[in-house]
Amino acid sequence: MMKKWRQQMKRWMTEKLELPADIMMDLPRITMVGQIHIYIENHRGLLAFSDKELRLLLRNGQLLVRGEQFVIKTILPEEILLEGKISQVVYIEEEKR
Amino acid sequence: MKNEWVDTFTGSVRVKAEGKGTERLINACVRNGITVWNVKKHSRDTATFFIKLSDVKRLRHIARQSECKLSFVGRTGLPFFWRRAWRNSGFWLGLFVFIAIMFLLSNIVWNIDIEGAAPETEHQIVRELKRMGVERGAFQFLLDDPETLQKKLTERIHDITWVGVQWEGTSLHFRVVEKEIPKPKQPAPPRHLVAKKEAVVADLFVEEGQPLVSVNDYVQKGQLLVSGIIGVEGRTKFVPSTGKVFGETWYKSTVVLPLETTFHVLTGKSIERHYIGIGRFSLPVWGWKKPTFTHTVIEREKRPFRFWKWDLPFYYERVIVREAEAVKRSYTWEEAFAEAKKIARRELQAKLPEEATIRGEKVLHQSKESGKVRVELHYTVIENIAVPQPIVQGD
Repeated sequence: MMKKWRQQMKRWMTEKLELPADIMMDLPRITMVGQIHIYIENHRGLLAFSDKELRLLLRNGQLLVRGEQFVIKTILPEEILLEGKISQVVYIEEEKR
Repeated sequence: MKNEWVDTFTGSVRVKAEGKGTERLINACVRNGITVWNVKKHSRDTATFFIKLSDVKRLRHIARQSECKLSFVGRTGLPFFWRRAWRNSGFWLGLFVFIAIMFLLSNIVWNIDIEGAAPETEHQIVRELKRMGVERGAFQFLLDDPETLQKKLTERIHDITWVGVQWEGTSLHFRVVEKEIPKPKQPAPPRHLVAKKEAVVADLFVEEGQPLVSVNDYVQKGQLLVSGIIGVEGRTKFVPSTGKVFGETWYKSTVVLPLETTFHVLTGKSIERHYIGIGRFSLPVWGWKKPTFTHTVIEREKRPFRFWKWDLPFYYERVIVREAEAVKRSYTWEEAFAEAKKIARRELQAKLPEEATIRGEKVLHQSKESGKVRVELHYTVIENIAVPQPIVQGD
C-alpha cells in the first residue's frame, strides 16, 4: 500500500516538475541505433545471453532482446551495450501478486 | 566508458568460460568491478570475453565460486608484445647483426683496379696508394676523396700524366694515362740548327752538319748555326744536323722585396676531432680536447656512409684544428738586398734548362722605396742556343 502510494507520488512529481522519468522512477533507459546497437541503462544484471537472445533483469520485470550475432560490447553494473542485428525488444512484466 | 587505447598498454586477455551459469559469472565480474567487454556466446555453455590483464587474479577468485571452467585463449597488448619480442630476440639480433655487417662491408674498399698502366707503373701506384692508406679492406670514409687522390698521385708519380679516380660501388677505379716516352733513334729528317735567341757563341760541339759560326761570333735570333747541307757545290747532301752550340746570353730581372712581412706558419700542433652527422647536425664521437691555440687553421673533411650502393644521409666528418703562428720577418737594408739577389737567381735558375749555367751577375740598379727594396740584375748565362729547323725540300 505504502509502496504503491510512493510510486504514484513519484509519477505525479515527474509529470508536474518535468523531471527525467528514468532517474525519478528507476526505469531503464534504452537507446537504439537502428538495428545494430542497443544501449540499456539501469538494468539489474544479466539473466541469459546467447548470440540470438539477451535477457536482462530490471527493477520490475525483465527485458528481452532478440536478434542475431549478438556481442556484448561493454557491460557495467548498470549499463550494457549490445551489438548485432536486433529484431525485437520485449518487456516481460512481473506477475502481479 | 572504457578506453581501448589504454588497454593496449596494460594488456588484455581473452577468457573462455565453459559450464553452466556463464551469465552469472559475468554478473559477478561486473559487480566486482572487473571490466568486461566483447562478450560472445558460442554455444549454450561456452562464452568468451575480454578482461584486463590486471584483473586476471580477481577473476580466478570469482570463478572459484561459480561452476564455470576458465581458460585463456588470447593475449593482446604491449606486455604480451614485449614478451613475444623477447622470445624472438634471436631473430631481431640476427637481423640487427645482418644490417650491421652489411653496413660495415658497404663502407669497405673491396677492390682497387688500375687500368691503362704498365706493370711497373701499376706497382708504383699500388705502393703509393698503400702509403696513403688506400688498400683493400680500408674504410672508405677514412680515405681522401677522389680529387685529392688524383692530385696526390699525379704529383708523386712522374710517369703518369693523368689519372682518373672514380668510385664504382665499393671498388676504386683508377684510369691511368702514362707519359709517352718518345722513341729514341727515330731517323730525323734533314735539318739545320738555328739560334734560339741572340747570343755570343762560347762553344761549339757539332756531331753532324756544317758549322757556319765560330767561337766569339755574335749571332742573332733565327740565324743559321749549323747547316744540314754538306759537301762541295754540285754534290751536296742533306743531313739531319745535330750538335750543341753554347752561347752567352743575357737576362735581366727585377725583384721587389718588402722589409717586413708577416705570415702565418703552422706550428705542427694539431687536434683531431671526429663527428658523425646528419644534415646540419653533427655529433662528436671522438676528440674532446679544447684547443688552446690562439690562431687556428681548420680543415674539414666530410665523407658519407654507404649502404649497399647508396650514400646514406649520414656522414663522417674529420675536423683538424691546426695551430697557426704569426711570424714577422724583418730584414735590414743589406739583408734585403742579399735576399732579393738570391730570389732573383733562384727564379732564373728555375726558368733555365738544366744544362745552362749562370756565369755572371751584375747589379744594374738598386733602390730603397718606402719599406721595400728594388733590385735590377743582369745575368750572363751559358746555354745551348741551337734549335732544329727542318729543311724544306723538293723545290
